[in-house]
Amino acid sequence: MKAGIYLSIIVPLYNEEESARPLYDAITKGLSELNFEYEILYVDDGSCDATFNVASELALQDKRLKVIKFRKNYGQTPAMAAGIDHASGEVLITMDGDLQNDPADIPAFIEKLNEGYDIVVGWRYKRQDKLITRKVPSVIANWIIGKVTGVPIRDNGCSLKAFRADIIKKVPLYSEMHRFIPAMASISGAKIAEIKVRHHARQYGVSKYGLSRIYKVLLDLLSIKTIVAFSSRPLLWFSILALPAVSISFLGLLVSIYYAFAQPSFSIVIAGVSILFGALAFFLVLIGALGELIYKTGDIKLAKLATLTAKEIS
Amino acid sequence: MNNNVEISVIIPVSERYDSVRDLYHDYKSAMEVSGRCFEFTYVLDGDFPEVFAQLRSLQDEGEIIKLVKLSKWFGEATALTAGFEHSSADIILTLPAYYQIEPSGISDVLAGMSSNDMVIARRWPRVDSKLNQLQSRIFHGLLNFITETSYRDLGCGVRAFRRQVIDEIPVYGDQHRFLPVLAFRQGFHVKELDVQQSSKDPHRRVYRTGVYLRRVLDILTVFFLAKFTKKPLRFFGLLGSGLFAIGGMLTAFLVFQRIFMGVALADRPILLLSSILIVLGVQLFAMGLIGELIIFTHAKDIREYTVDDVVN
Repeated sequence: MKAGIYLSIIVPLYNEEESARPLYDAITKGLSELNFEYEILYVDDGSCDATFNVASELALQDKRLKVIKFRKNYGQTPAMAAGIDHASGEVLITMDGDLQNDPADIPAFIEKLNEGYDIVVGWRYKRQDKLITRKVPSVIANWIIGKVTGVPIRDNGCSLKAFRADIIKKVPLYSEMHRFIPAMASISGAKIAEIKVRHHARQYGVSKYGLSRIYKVLLDLLSIKTIVAFSSRPLLWFSILALPAVSISFLGLLVSIYYAFAQPSFSIVIAGVSILFGALAFFLVLIGALGELIYKTGDIKLAKLATLTAKEIS
Repeated sequence: MNNNVEISVIIPVSERYDSVRDLYHDYKSAMEVSGRCFEFTYVLDGDFPEVFAQLRSLQDEGEIIKLVKLSKWFGEATALTAGFEHSSADIILTLPAYYQIEPSGISDVLAGMSSNDMVIARRWPRVDSKLNQLQSRIFHGLLNFITETSYRDLGCGVRAFRRQVIDEIPVYGDQHRFLPVLAFRQGFHVKELDVQQSSKDPHRRVYRTGVYLRRVLDILTVFFLAKFTKKPLRFFGLLGSGLFAIGGMLTAFLVFQRIFMGVALADRPILLLSSILIVLGVQLFAMGLIGELIIFTHAKDIREYTVDDVVN
């Protein structure tokens, strides 16, 4: 870690040639009253416009700005992961590159972190987006995400978030997991706070999201649920999944016995279905055992994560 | 190892080979046209006594040839990997151990490296039989459809690429064939170049059925690796939920018939089918979840992005 740098601001940029400069101005203005060293990391996610040129021009004038250029477009999560890997501050802040977040909110995030929280997430309480295609799905999605992961956050989609570096650097980030960082981090017992942030309508460029991602988000959510559930009680999660199969199997068994004794005929079909679901339940429990094995041999140990947030109390 | 070497030429001898001596001299004179410093490395994938003897006699004549011999047959990708490890230059050129292209085309391939990370040769115009060409068409059509790329001759062993490409993309088994596809996915610039096919190339090429099956499986593997490595649930989940949905609807229909139309459920064999679909769906889904667990626990090894440049 470089000495002196306290804050790293990570901004993934994808085709944001108009926004790169105003954003830089806004960040430096928003942080001008804070008296500690900071750095800005622009991650150019393989843009095909002049984003990288604009950003590197800025970087020539200001040593605090670092530009990381990807070889091709990888998506928002790898961009954030790269920023986090290259950051040297104690506190990391991520934000969107499209000027929808306001850097003037950053001091409030730092204040909140200093109150003892590990992660502070923004909540765009006056969202400047279309109601039907953006806001309504977002409210539903956030509610579901909160219920499933057990981390109730009103706005998972808001990129403006602040993290303690030692925690976020240990949280695995891959695929499209940036939406679920708080849930992932909750495995380690991180304390999460939520504060209201300003939100501006998009000024330049076009939005890079659509409705089509709902299916992907749902599947990702299930993965997260599995990972989070596994981290505490490995076998239990798959056993819960096996429960419906067990009950169907048991029901089928009872019906078969009834047929065999009370009626003159015996139903092969019902017995077959019963056996099938019994086998499924067995399979699921064994899969759970396999998961246990994977967890044991993997690199990520729950105990290590827990020590990140453990505090000594004297 | 000589550090001035600009190009490492690697020639894997895995199955087919032509006259070692003629081919070596043809390749060598083609390489000398480029005017750059190069080294030759032959990798013998197992025992090839005849090739070995000829290479030895070439060495005795003063030719500088590096010889790497694998203890048994491992497959061409492994032979190539061994060759990469025993070479030092920044640019690697792999050449087949038999006449596949006219050696004069090599200089074009090397010239293409100035603006690309990888240049692959495409034998064109083809002089071999229509059957071979048809096979190749079908294979590449399928591959391009699945991986959304547009390569037309991955069977050609003439490829030049930067060492960085092979450092970032580990290949094993038969996957060397798909190196351009994987390299393209990784963000490298890959260019396909037309090169005159050698008149000696057109051999009979009707393989055993097993070989065709393996090719199709290879395509599937590459497809899976390229698209779903980091999100197995997207793949298994889609298949699983599809089967589950079909099974669920079928069961719902049967239950509806039982309740409202009085058709007894007990003697409907189709109930078994619908149950099997549900069971299979759940199993696939569970496998996807296990896949996610594997990715999660190894996420620290998976760096998804490649950095091109860092300013400051």
